[in-house]
Amino acid sequence: MRRGMPVNRVVRLLRREPLSGDYFRLAFEHPEVATQGRAGQFVMIKAGVSAEPPLRRPFSLLGLEPERGAFTLLLKTVGPGTRALAAMQEGEPASCLGPLGSWFQPPPSGREPLLIAGGYGIAPFLLFSRDLRARDVVPRAFYGGRTGADLQLLDAFGALGVPLVAATEDGSLGARGYVTLPLEAYLDSHPSVALYACGPDALLHAVARIAARRGLPAQVSLDPWMGCGIGTCLGCVVRIQHAGDPRPRYKCACTEGPVFDAATVAWPGESGSLAGGGLAAP
Amino acid sequence: MTLAVELAGIRLKNPLIAASGTFGYGVECQDLMDLSLLGGIVSKGLYLEPRDGCPTPRIVETPSGLLNAIGLQGVGVRAFVRDVLPALSRWDTRVFVNVCGDSVEEYAEVARIVDAAPGVAGVEINISCPNVKKGGIAFGGDPHMTHEVVSAVRKATRLPVIPKLSPNVADIGAFARVCEQAGADAVSCINTVLALAIDVETRRPRLAFGTGGLSGPAIRPIAVRMAWQAAREVRIPVIGVGGIASAADALEFLIAGCRAVQIGTANFATASPTSTQ
Repeated sequence: MRRGMPVNRVVRLLRREPLSGDYFRLAFEHPEVATQGRAGQFVMIKAGVSAEPPLRRPFSLLGLEPERGAFTLLLKTVGPGTRALAAMQEGEPASCLGPLGSWFQPPPSGREPLLIAGGYGIAPFLLFSRDLRARDVVPRAFYGGRTGADLQLLDAFGALGVPLVAATEDGSLGARGYVTLPLEAYLDSHPSVALYACGPDALLHAVARIAARRGLPAQVSLDPWMGCGIGTCLGCVVRIQHAGDPRPRYKCACTEGPVFDAATVAWPGESGSLAGGGLAAP
Repeated sequence: MTLAVELAGIRLKNPLIAASGTFGYGVECQDLMDLSLLGGIVSKGLYLEPRDGCPTPRIVETPSGLLNAIGLQGVGVRAFVRDVLPALSRWDTRVFVNVCGDSVEEYAEVARIVDAAPGVAGVEINISCPNVKKGGIAFGGDPHMTHEVVSAVRKATRLPVIPKLSPNVADIGAFARVCEQAGADAVSCINTVLALAIDVETRRPRLAFGTGGLSGPAIRPIAVRMAWQAAREVRIPVIGVGGIASAADALEFLIAGCRAVQIGTANFATASPTSTQ
């Protein structure tokens, strides 16, 4: 097996930690993910080894525990697949494939990395913060959610010495409103930065617009519905247009992403969309 | 004991085949499993030219099922022959090519190109994709068009010809008979079941295309019934497809009269048609 290649395993749940709101931190045994996973990469996983639910779900790597051969993920229960994972007991099996996908690249030298997260989009930034700290680079996090209970792992960022600006739509924690407001305020006085974003599409699109307007490098982690994780189902495609391409092309978020240069993403509703976009009659 | 089966004049080491559209072009999976364990693999559907496919979202999970409207995104048959077939040649398995067309002539031309390529065991004809506006089910839902496409492909290749039938018809046995009369060597039963899922918050379809094709364990009893109906109507072999996720599931189709089976949606959750869930 080549280093870094995804490995398909039945894995055991090692730890199950309920967090606030609908969130859990789960630790699974998977030696290859634990030793070869990188910040921004993901696993496909589902509870149990039966045919239900039919699909595994993608999760960013939250933490790596190479000495235990384990990794952790941040789970928010939203549907049947995530509820089945949350209901697992320690020692029970899950079907898991990883590590998968692209990862965050460190910033150009001299640029401060700003990690912009919405909701469970915080997951990959803990590992990325550790990597950056190991390179003596201190990132700064901007973390938004609907309400205070949606913001997770604040202590963990504190323990790493990563300054974190929180924002909630209801104002229950940090600034009131979208996280892009404190972000823009910071950018006004700190032009030498690199942006990294993970979260809802609207946040990623907003960060991409900010980066384009201010001429900043930006990497975004996309989270479309994903079927297989290895580029066979073509369900998770996103529209990507590299410099010199005459038009966007569908690329698999699982194999060519999930981390993309924000400037290459052809966002919905912008010009240059692929023919046939929008709702078509069958 | 041997699991080998004979299908349209070719020997498969076992009756397990990876279904079209669920295994890429095979090469995507070769680092995750030994492809030589498979009786065969069927490529993603191929036209003459590359295709973009449907807008997104393209897939959504439903109870015990997967609803998709991928729309036959693909690299085109020439790129497949040039780039993929040589890479598959190191594996001891049978490679079937799923051919598509917007016209009868395109189906025949794709089949001619496949015929001239080394390392292909047979041609599966896609006359049943529900997610394209031309071709696909427009041909497979009409017995006259079915006859025309199968006859044209029959004339275009010496390889075994295997139409993949749609479940979205009243009498699949009649379509199987039409295929047999047009010179088919076997039929695959079934493609996905035409279906619709609606987001009640937005009141819009959950797939960008609108409708999609339903697969997975949810459709297995439908597939077993239709494969059984087809097998009663024709002397050519029937390949059973639809919601197989275990050895017992595969046996249902074999008991119903199928010669071989294809594993589809289950590949997405296992990355391997030979792993029994």
